Amino acid sequence: MKKYAFNEITVMQYIFLINGAQVGTGVLSLPRILAEKAGTDGWIAIIIGWLCSVSASIFLVKAAAKYPEDTLYEILIRFFGKILGKVLISVYMVYFAFSAWTILVNACLYIKAWFLPKTPEYIVLLLFSIPTFVIARNGLRVLGRYSELSFYMVIWIPLFLLIPLKDGNWLHFLPLLKEGWRPVLSAVPTTVTSFLGFEVAFFFYPFLQKKQHAVLGITIANTLTILFYVFVTFVCYAYFSPDGIIEFNQPVLNLLKLIEFRFLERFDMVLLAVYLIVVSTAWIPYVYLAPFCFSQLLGKQDHSNYVIILLLIIIGMVFWLDPTWNDSEGWQKMVVKGGLGLAFVAPPFLWVYSWIYEKFRRRVSH
Amino acid sequence: MFDFLKPSKGKRSFLHKQVSTHSNLQKKMSADDVLDSDLSQNTEILQQVFSQAPDLVIRCFSINASKTDAALVYLPGLTNKDAIQNHVLKPLMSSSFELDKELPITIGDVEVVETWGQVESAILGGDSVLLINGQNTGYRLDTKGWPQREVSDPQNEISLKGAHQGFVETGTQNIALIRRYIPHHELMLKEMTIGLRGKTKVSLLYLRDVASDDVLRELETRIQNITVDAIINTGELIEFIEDNPYSPFPQIMLTERPDTAVSHILQGRFVIVLDRSPSVLIAPTNFMSFFQAVDDYGTRWLLSTFIRVSRFLAFIITLFFPASYVAFISYNFEVIPMELLLSIAESRIQVPFAPVLEAVIMETILELMREAALRLPTPIGQTIGIVGGIIIGQAAVAVGIVSNIMIIVVAVTAIASYNIPNYDMSSAIRLLRFPMMLAAAMFGVVGIVIGWMTIVGHLVSLESLGTPYGTPLAPFRFADMKDAFLRFPLWTMKSRPKGTGAIPTIRQGRNRTKR
Repeated sequence: MKKYAFNEITVMQYIFLINGAQVGTGVLSLPRILAEKAGTDGWIAIIIGWLCSVSASIFLVKAAAKYPEDTLYEILIRFFGKILGKVLISVYMVYFAFSAWTILVNACLYIKAWFLPKTPEYIVLLLFSIPTFVIARNGLRVLGRYSELSFYMVIWIPLFLLIPLKDGNWLHFLPLLKEGWRPVLSAVPTTVTSFLGFEVAFFFYPFLQKKQHAVLGITIANTLTILFYVFVTFVCYAYFSPDGIIEFNQPVLNLLKLIEFRFLERFDMVLLAVYLIVVSTAWIPYVYLAPFCFSQLLGKQDHSNYVIILLLIIIGMVFWLDPTWNDSEGWQKMVVKGGLGLAFVAPPFLWVYSWIYEKFRRRVSH
Repeated sequence: MFDFLKPSKGKRSFLHKQVSTHSNLQKKMSADDVLDSDLSQNTEILQQVFSQAPDLVIRCFSINASKTDAALVYLPGLTNKDAIQNHVLKPLMSSSFELDKELPITIGDVEVVETWGQVESAILGGDSVLLINGQNTGYRLDTKGWPQREVSDPQNEISLKGAHQGFVETGTQNIALIRRYIPHHELMLKEMTIGLRGKTKVSLLYLRDVASDDVLRELETRIQNITVDAIINTGELIEFIEDNPYSPFPQIMLTERPDTAVSHILQGRFVIVLDRSPSVLIAPTNFMSFFQAVDDYGTRWLLSTFIRVSRFLAFIITLFFPASYVAFISYNFEVIPMELLLSIAESRIQVPFAPVLEAVIMETILELMREAALRLPTPIGQTIGIVGGIIIGQAAVAVGIVSNIMIIVVAVTAIASYNIPNYDMSSAIRLLRFPMMLAAAMFGVVGIVIGWMTIVGHLVSLESLGTPYGTPLAPFRFADMKDAFLRFPLWTMKSRPKGTGAIPTIRQGRNRTKR
C-alpha cells in the first residue's frame, strides 16, 4: 500500500528538514537589512513574516494532504495532464537547482572571504560537494537523519551569542514603534523571503510517517526558525547602536568577533566554520530535490547519478562564471521571486484547484 | 580422492567419493550409498575412503557374548580416549548381552547411521563409528574430545566487574556459557552450516518473543547465501554479512565476553556463535553501542555516566586533535592567543617539516609501535615502550625533528583512542584521523568541518541489518537515549531499545518506587 515504506521520515526529521532548508546564510545579514528598513522595530516584521509563512505552510500541507500518498509530480500530472504537469514539475526542478546554486555560491563566497581567500571557488565547491554527494545520493530518510543530527550538533551556537549580550543596551528597543507601522510593514517582504525553504515540505509530505502531525510539524519548523531569527536580531540590536548596525554588512559576524577566551582568540572563526553545517542543511535538500524531480520526469527510480551531474554542472558554472558578491545578490533576488511564487502562491492555488477538480470530477462520474 | 561437487551444479552439501581405480572394488561410491552388511567389505571401503588419512584407527574386535566381529572407527586426535576405552570397548568386550537388544554402551548420544556420507562426517567430526558384522547400519557414538582450551579470562576485553569467563573455540561450549545466563525456553537457537569444505556450524541465539522477525529473516538469508570453502574466524563472517563493507565503521560487534553477549540478547539483539571462534557476533548494532562496556552497568551510575561522556570526549579528541593542531598551526593561527602561539613557535623553531608532515610522521610512528607491540611476545613487547618513549620521544625532540607540542598531541591522541572500549571502532576512528589531518592541512578549519560533515553523512546513511546505525540520535529515540551519552540508573530503563527493531516489551517492572 505504502509506496515509500523504506523512505519514511519521522515528524522530528520533517521539522528539522524544513527548518534546515530555511536557515542558511541569510540570517548573518538579516539584522542589518531589517535595521535599514525598520530600525530597531525590525523584529516585529519578523513576527509578521512568520505569520505569513505559517499560514502559507498550512495551505501547503492542506493541499498536499488531498492526495497523501502522491508526490507533487503525481498530483500535478493528475490535475493538469501529462504535458502541462511535466512542464510545471520542470519549473520546480529548475527552481530547486537554482536555489541549490545560489546557496552553494553564497556559502562558497563566505568561506572564501573568511577562511580561504586564495583558494579558487571551484575547489571550495568541490569540497562542499563531497559531503553533499554522500548524503544526497541516498533517500530522503538519510537526508532527514542528517538534518536531525546536524540540528543537535549546532544547537549550542546561539549560546555563544549570549556572551556579547552582557554589554547590550536594552534602551535601543524603546520606544516601540517609534516611527509607526509603516517602516515595519515595509520590512515584511524581506522577512517573508527569509522564511523561504518550507516549500520543500510539499515534496516531503508523502514520505511522512504520521501525516496527522504535518501541520504541527511545519508550524514548529517555522517557529524554530523565527525563534532563531528574532534571537539573533535582538542580540544585534541590543549590542549595536541603531545607527551603527547599518555600517556592518554582516553584523552577526561582527558580533561573534567579540567572543574571546583566554585560550582561544577569534573564536568566531571556529563558530563560522561550524556554521557551515547549518548552511549545508539548507543546500542539501535542494541538491537532493532537483535530481529527484528530474528522475521522476524520466521515470527512473535511482536519482544518485543526477546528483553527480548537478554537482558537476554547479562546479563547472562556478569555474566559468567566477561569481562575485554582486552576482550572488542578483541571483538571490531571482530565487526569491521564484520562491515567493512556488511557496506562497502555488499551494493556495493548488488547494483551491483541487476543490474545483474534485467537484468537477465527481459531477462527471455521476 | 574426494571430488567436490562444483557449486554451480546446484547441490552443495554432499561429497562425491570415488574409490580409486586401482582398487579391487571398481564401483563408484557416493555419499548416499548405504553400508554393507559384511564387515570386511565395510572396512575395506573405509580404508579406501580414508587412504590418505593414516591416523585413522579401525579397531577390529569381537563382541564378547556372541563372538560377532565388530569394528570401531575413529580419528584418535579428535576423540576422547577415555570415553572410547572405558565406555565403548570395555562394555562391549567384557559384558555379555544379546545383539538384537540394546548395546551396553555408556555414552549419551548414540545414533544409527546408514549411509557412507553420515559415517564420514561423523568420523571427521570427532565421533567414532561402530560397525557390527551382519548389520547394514552402524552406530555413531559421541566421543568428541579434540584439543581444547580451558575457559579463561577474556584476553582482549578486560573488565573490572564483569565475569571472568571468556568464550572458547568450541561453539557448543560458548552456547552453554550463554545459556547459563538465560535458562529460559524463549532463548532460541537456530543452527546453520556454512562453508563447503570447512562445514562451520553457525548458531543464532535470540529471544523469540523479543527479537525482531524482520531482522532474523534478513540475517538468516544473508548467512545462508554464503558460499565459500571455509570461514576461519568471525571477522570473515562479518565481511560476508554486513550491510556496507566499504565503510570504515564496524556494523556488527565482536565480543569474547558471555556477559556482554547476554546483555545484548536481552536487549533484543542477535548473537551469532561461530564454531571454532573464540568471539561471537552481535547484530544489529548502532554507533552508540560501540561505546558501551559491560562495566558501565556494574559501577554506580553517576560514575559510569562520567566514563561514558569521557569516552565520547576521547572519540572527539582522537578524530579532531591532530587535525586541529595542523589546522591551527598552519592555517588559522589567529585563533590561538599570541603568547601560546609564541611558545608553540618557539618549540617548532628547529623542526624542518611542515606541521602536517610532522603530524603524519608522528602518528604513523605511533601506529607502527602499536602494531609492533601487538605482535611481539610479551617479554620483548615491553622494550617497545622504552624504545618508543625514550628514544623516539626524547631524542627526536632533542635533535629537533619534531616539536614538544607534537609529542603531546600524539600522546594524548593515542591515550584517547585506547579509551574506546571496542577495538574495531577505535581502529576505525584512528584510521579516520589521517584523512582528517590531510583535510586540515589543505583547507584548515573548513576542511575539518567538511570532513566531519562527510563522516556524519556517512554514519546516518549506514544501516546494520536494516536498522539505522545513527539511532538513538538520528532517528531520535528518547527512551534509547537513557543508555547513550549518559547511563541512566538501571531502574529507569523500563523498555528495551527500539533501535534494534525489537518488539518493545517492557524490560522491567517498577523497581525502587516507594522507598
